[in-house]
Amino acid sequence: MSDIDTFTLLPLQIDPQSKALSTASSSRSLQAELAALNTLHRALLTVETPNQVPPPPVPVNPKRSANINKLRDSGNDAYRKGKHNDAIKFYSLGLQMALGRPLWEPQQLVREEVASLYANRAQAHMALQGWPEGALDAEASVEAKRVGNSKAWWRRGKCLLEMGRFAEAREWASKGLEMEGEDGELAALLKEIDVKLGKEKKSSS
Amino acid sequence: MFDNLFDIDWKSLALPFAYITVLGVSLYTFSTIYRKRKASQSANLEPWFPPHLQRNIYLSLLHMEPEAGQEKAPKIPDSVVRAALLRRAVEDIRRIIQIRTSKQALNTLLLRGSVGDDLNQRFQRAEKEIEEELRDVVSEANALAPGWGNSIFQSANEIAANQALRTKLDAIEGRSESEKQWWEKRRETIKKDFMKELDGESVKGSVKGSDDDGVLVDSGTPAATPGSAKKKKTGKK
Repeated sequence: MSDIDTFTLLPLQIDPQSKALSTASSSRSLQAELAALNTLHRALLTVETPNQVPPPPVPVNPKRSANINKLRDSGNDAYRKGKHNDAIKFYSLGLQMALGRPLWEPQQLVREEVASLYANRAQAHMALQGWPEGALDAEASVEAKRVGNSKAWWRRGKCLLEMGRFAEAREWASKGLEMEGEDGELAALLKEIDVKLGKEKKSSS
Repeated sequence: MFDNLFDIDWKSLALPFAYITVLGVSLYTFSTIYRKRKASQSANLEPWFPPHLQRNIYLSLLHMEPEAGQEKAPKIPDSVVRAALLRRAVEDIRRIIQIRTSKQALNTLLLRGSVGDDLNQRFQRAEKEIEEELRDVVSEANALAPGWGNSIFQSANEIAANQALRTKLDAIEGRSESEKQWWEKRRETIKKDFMKELDGESVKGSVKGSDDDGVLVDSGTPAATPGSAKKKKTGKK
């Protein structure tokens, strides 16, 4: 029974130089937890607040947001010029930066940034006919932002359709329609999928 | 005369006295055993949550013992203690979320009688424990850095949510290799099928003339037709 006044003393050691914690115990969960703790500790050391405690989530340091936006804009430019590979590189860098945000910064912000970057990268992959990559990126985008992200819903549906995974595509597109309400392009995609599905049934029967 | 009366009285009283003592003793033993059993029963109820690893780490850090051969316990820097407290707060947030989401469901189940009272007892104890745990963390945070108690749970909340998001995204990215391989294989088979079809056609077509067939094969070989790719580009921006 875990009482509020008692605790289990764990065999912990600290490295005097790196200040990293380690344990003699072979418990895997404890070791994983200590690894996470050490990472968090290193991240906390970079914080500039007087006591080195994480600042409250808002306001956010605008530096990183500006960088991410810049990378996205460069990616968009490259995409417009038809340099799809460059665009993918820019978006990937932006994603790295957005996901590298300190964990205590608002997750809502991360979701917004990541969703648009993934959606754009999916588009660039699609332009290169990289359907599996596009499908995964669009899925990640939807995972980050479910509502108000009809482009990403559409893109994964389209990629699945291109790969011939009609049943999956149909399920995905109808789910997207549920989330986004009446979206013309998604509805059109669903129709297209249904036509393909019908053809497939005919040819197999 | 008094002596006489006294003697008789004591002897006749012995029986009722014995009766009372036996009754008292038996009642006492019954109540103690009963209470002990009940206490051990409720103590044996499984706790709602597994042991709080982060809390144990934090408290272990505060109570470090000297290693063998050394007199003083190693000094733990404050930054490490703060990180450990933050991890503890993150775990608390997870637990609170779990408690809040299961409360509604548990209450409905209890009303319907689908779950036993044991479960409810365990739940209520977990609720009480987490409340005390939160208060404890806030006071520890304020002791480590003035005013941190106000924001530590805000930060912990974002950390918990951010971690959840990243694990989900990582899971999606982790599928990328297998998806790509699957598509490669699939594309190969599509290509083969296509070539077979073309071969069949070219046998028929060779009667007319082979030049047109060459063009047909070239434009047709890519698995995905270029026309559909163009549509995509213009379709969404």
